[in-house]
Amino acid sequence: MNTDGNIYKPIKAKLTEVIEESPLIKTFVLVPEKEFSFKTGQFIELSVDSIGEAPFTPSSSPVITDKLEVTVMKTGYVTEYMHELKPGAYMGIRGPFGRGYPVEKFFGKEVLILGGGCGLAPIRSLLYALEHYKDKILKVILCYGSKTPSDCIYKPLFNRLNSIDKFEAYRTVDKADEEWNESVGVATVLLDKVKVNIENSVAVICGPPIMMKFGTKRILEMGYRDEQVYLSMEKNMSCGLGKCGHCMMGKYFVCKDGPVFTYNEIKDQPDIWN
Amino acid sequence: MQNLRCINKEDWNSTLKRLLVSHLIYATTENNSHLDYELITEADVNRISYNRPKPVTPLKSFFLPVSENVTATNSHGKPRIIIGTPNCDTEGLGILDEMYLDKDFKDIFYKSKRENTILISADCFGILEHCHCLSYGIKPYSNGIADLSILEKGGMMIFRILSTKGEQFLNTLTAVVIPEDKNIVEFIEEKHSSTESLLKEANKGLPDYKRTGSLVSEAKKEIWKKYSAKCVSCGACATICPTCTCFLLIDKPGFEKIKQLDACQYPGFERVAGGEDGLAELPQRFRNRYMCKYVWKPERFNSVACTGCGRCIEACIGKINKNELFMELA
Repeated sequence: MNTDGNIYKPIKAKLTEVIEESPLIKTFVLVPEKEFSFKTGQFIELSVDSIGEAPFTPSSSPVITDKLEVTVMKTGYVTEYMHELKPGAYMGIRGPFGRGYPVEKFFGKEVLILGGGCGLAPIRSLLYALEHYKDKILKVILCYGSKTPSDCIYKPLFNRLNSIDKFEAYRTVDKADEEWNESVGVATVLLDKVKVNIENSVAVICGPPIMMKFGTKRILEMGYRDEQVYLSMEKNMSCGLGKCGHCMMGKYFVCKDGPVFTYNEIKDQPDIWN
Repeated sequence: MQNLRCINKEDWNSTLKRLLVSHLIYATTENNSHLDYELITEADVNRISYNRPKPVTPLKSFFLPVSENVTATNSHGKPRIIIGTPNCDTEGLGILDEMYLDKDFKDIFYKSKRENTILISADCFGILEHCHCLSYGIKPYSNGIADLSILEKGGMMIFRILSTKGEQFLNTLTAVVIPEDKNIVEFIEEKHSSTESLLKEANKGLPDYKRTGSLVSEAKKEIWKKYSAKCVSCGACATICPTCTCFLLIDKPGFEKIKQLDACQYPGFERVAGGEDGLAELPQRFRNRYMCKYVWKPERFNSVACTGCGRCIEACIGKINKNELFMELA
């Protein structure tokens, strides 16, 4: 952080582009006024001046440091204002906060990623990071589910991933339309298609709470051990500093100790899927 | 005797008047039978009340104001002296220090207030109805965290030195001397043990801090339903608690942020944008506060986040008595 030692003070970032991903989801391209970098899976607090701030994990590559992209679903008070913003506007950024994906621990392994809905945003950043280190990764398999074809975000991403050596990407929708020629069903149906050496792999899960719950159950049934499963948890992260108390999950502050945890770390904590 | 100092009370009062030129002095005074902190002027020095439990306002209010602009320039202002704090509150400040001065993120506003304050705790000579610090392993007299502890003995003020900062402060005061009267040690020990005896007698049967965690985590849903039935989610228990510090950040024009005290008893405390809320129901929020204080904070900070001050019992408009809850659990 470059905020003169004040952990509460945001830095300004200029909105240079707004990309419509789906009817409810937009990606904001931001150029911070001060030096800013993050590790994949860490989150930021993004604010609309005088309205409020909300936590988001950047969806862009952590290797790129002159700008960042944040994908936002219109789902509440602050995000409604965000969706009204036009290029040229300024937003506030605090962070980066928390513990992201331990990419170095994935070296020499296969990485199975299960994503749903807007959970693909943090995953896209992870995919960029894994692509950066692809010489050190054995294989990356993405299984992504959304409600309908129009809810699928980052549409060009999938063809691109499938053209990269060692990468495979699969999509499914809960409800198909006439043009859809890929899988139909919840995200976990895609897990039946993939070939993975479970013993030498890790699983990453990010999506809405219901998918996190049943996705984790299915991944564990496949034979993954608790410590091989990485979850990106969502709570009401507000200060990002482990102080305001809104994101407590048992003894953990999700904002500071997470948001990425292994299932082994949090399985005994209360209400983790809420 | 090396850690003791004393000063004639008249000299102490004169010293305080002199210190008012360069310091803000807050001290406990009695108004309408209530004890509370007051910003002292020359005329108030004689009214300072020592060694009485317990000010209405918790000590945290001096370090975590209800509302504070945390994007403004952090100005130090005059140094402060706070006099008369009971040990339940100084121990509570220890938990706040762990939260706000942690190695990863220091809150510069909290830090400067801590550094800018000389904290003179007062050993409690007596207890109030709901005092139960000893049940949580906290003595009715400070042994740290505060800079000094003060005791009034007749016309004499006795200081126990608890920090280097406290010792340095006393070294600047000309009339302060090392006591020669050996009865002073006896006097202090007698006061300490008599207050401890009162606490033990008053809190017989109350489970102590070694048991509270397991009692809370193993409590059945019915307990939370029963005790939360009288809760109106007003948050008074959290506001008055010396260790509850949850807050909101409120955005103002110019990317300013106002940090405002919050409470997990308020609806929506844990609600996320999509609408999911792990604490949507009142019994869940009620239980959350106990889990936080007696199970999760001890796991994280190695100390129960309750100092036994009893203010939450006094502040509750639903007359919920947490000690009754613990007696039922035990």
